[in-house]
Amino acid sequence: MNTIANIAFRNLSRQKKRTILLGSAIAFGVMIVTLINGFAGAFSANVSENFSNLMAGHIFISGTEKGPNDKDMSVIRNDSSLTTAVEASGAPAKYITRRSAFSGTLIFEGKKIRTNVDGAQLDKETFLRERLLLKDGSWDSMTNETALILSEKIANKLNVDVGDRILVQMQTVNGQNNVGEFTLAGISFDAGIFGQMMSYANLSYVNELLGLAPGEYQTMGVMLDGLKNTEVSATEIYARLNEAGVQLFDRGVKDETGAETPFQALLRQQNKESWEGVKYRLFTINEMLSQIKQIVAALDTTAAIILVVLFVIIMVGITNTFSMVMFERIGEIGTMRALGVQRGGVRSMFLYEAVFLALGGAIAGIILALIAMAGISLINFGMDSPAFLIMKNGHMSFYLPPLKAVGNVIIIALLTLLAVSSPAAKAAKLTPAEALRTQK
Amino acid sequence: MKRLFAATILAIAAAGSAAFAQDVPKILATLDAQSDFTGKDFAAVYTIVSQKPGEKDSVSQVRMFRRDAKKQFAMLVVLPEVNKGQGYLREEDNVWFYDPTSRKFSFSSIKENIQNSEAKNSDLTKKSILDDYEVVSSKEGTVGKIAVWIIDLKAKTNEVSYDRSVLYVRKDKTMLLKQEDYSVSGRLMRTNLFPKYVELEGRLMPSQILIIDELNPGERSQLTLTEQSLATLPEKVFTKAFLEQVNK
Repeated sequence: MNTIANIAFRNLSRQKKRTILLGSAIAFGVMIVTLINGFAGAFSANVSENFSNLMAGHIFISGTEKGPNDKDMSVIRNDSSLTTAVEASGAPAKYITRRSAFSGTLIFEGKKIRTNVDGAQLDKETFLRERLLLKDGSWDSMTNETALILSEKIANKLNVDVGDRILVQMQTVNGQNNVGEFTLAGISFDAGIFGQMMSYANLSYVNELLGLAPGEYQTMGVMLDGLKNTEVSATEIYARLNEAGVQLFDRGVKDETGAETPFQALLRQQNKESWEGVKYRLFTINEMLSQIKQIVAALDTTAAIILVVLFVIIMVGITNTFSMVMFERIGEIGTMRALGVQRGGVRSMFLYEAVFLALGGAIAGIILALIAMAGISLINFGMDSPAFLIMKNGHMSFYLPPLKAVGNVIIIALLTLLAVSSPAAKAAKLTPAEALRTQK
Repeated sequence: MKRLFAATILAIAAAGSAAFAQDVPKILATLDAQSDFTGKDFAAVYTIVSQKPGEKDSVSQVRMFRRDAKKQFAMLVVLPEVNKGQGYLREEDNVWFYDPTSRKFSFSSIKENIQNSEAKNSDLTKKSILDDYEVVSSKEGTVGKIAVWIIDLKAKTNEVSYDRSVLYVRKDKTMLLKQEDYSVSGRLMRTNLFPKYVELEGRLMPSQILIIDELNPGERSQLTLTEQSLATLPEKVFTKAFLEQVNK
């Protein structure tokens, strides 16, 4: 068997130009697919981590109270049992944040736009200042009670400048109409499609507009030391809350059709039930961004389709090349067969050549992709880039799951074997006399 | 002598004011009664013309069916054509919205605006000022040249859309001429004018309402009431099945 493999390897090195061309085609295909896989691998983690910073937490606990007429009211009145549970869980919490939010219409000189406004304790959430860079204005102006930070996109739509006073029309937690007046303190760099979600104000003023009492708020965020501990810590905190007898919504409920995200299922559960006092729901950044997983799945599917299309083209080339190779070596095959090499040996020789070619090309492709990834990730796009949510600290980052890389190599090896199987079978079928008789 | 005269004037004014203060609940009860069709069913068509600066006027039309005794209403959207068949159904305190495209009902609210206009569902239903609001102050004034009572109301509950309302009620006939609605923070949000009334079995009903958005200058909606009727409606009108059936 070693001899056949050696002959196959020697055959490849005999036709260097042809081997390099075929190998390069395979390497190019593998490089493209690996780059997409690497981007998709880091996409989910980067978006989740960046969102964690903007939303101030990896794990969130929000309270809901049933108001008169069974209407839901989002509020946390006393969080002592929540903070105790977080401490007792042993979760690696870096800090705990408290936020309230509303969806309202910002109005300025005849222009209006609907947006979400997050009320945060900006004196404590210093990390938000590091993540959300301002194009205009300053975070120091947020000491003004009614200060507001808007994204560039919203500010442009409203045609507002720092210092302008903006009306906001919204509803209190009870659904009553309310109007507030903000002063624009800063304009953040555009965050692409997420810009609509990034308006920040002081928690105290947002609470006042929502009709919440001082000390109350809507969502507690637990910021961990990293995304990796999110699910384990969430389970622990949930268990501690349960032990403490805190009213909780079930986690992980799904609808029958499977069409809902875990977060939507949690909200549906809230609509169906009835209870006394405040009931809490615990959810994670992963549940909130479960749609991100769909984007990753779409990227992976795209990569797989590209892989197949590229390799169908490459395989046609490989099949043709090996058919030619078989014809060129017909005399050689006849001699080998006359010297006692069996049909299987001839077939194996061709298949070995295909495997060596595929492995060589695939490994070269992966190495090229890794070099490209390293090069791209050195470029600093800055935190003011519209795509900063998919980047890691302003740099494009890649993560190639090892199994995915191995899987790609196996797929390519199999496809190459498939492409060569027909010429190999034809070569194996030749009888020594027939092969020696054939004139090229 | 002068002192005696001034004291008399003050006494008369105080007595008049006290008498009016006593009358305020009566005035509010009358206003409530005017919009209350308990014991009868009410049906009408409301045409809403909305104006927004820089936009073409939009016309919406809804057919309203009310049974106040059971706090029920069914509202069918007739115009615009694109939203035809949408509907609202109120059963007790629950309001449902029906979307014929998805054929699904979803939770809605009495506080929700009708078809992107300034009018809210609650504007077309029975009023319960006495239940929902308490009188903060009352005084005399005018709307144009018409003498009115100006009644300042503060919400008793947070179930109402507006925390504060100021009513301008005609003195000679108990008719609401103007209403100002304020936000929880005390800002004027909208002004409603009631220029035309129609008499329906002895009750005065506004047949035209002009709603002016005070936050967005130039935005206003005009509601016109037509085809009003107090004929008994079939029981099925106030069911989800009715909203589904009219779309078949």
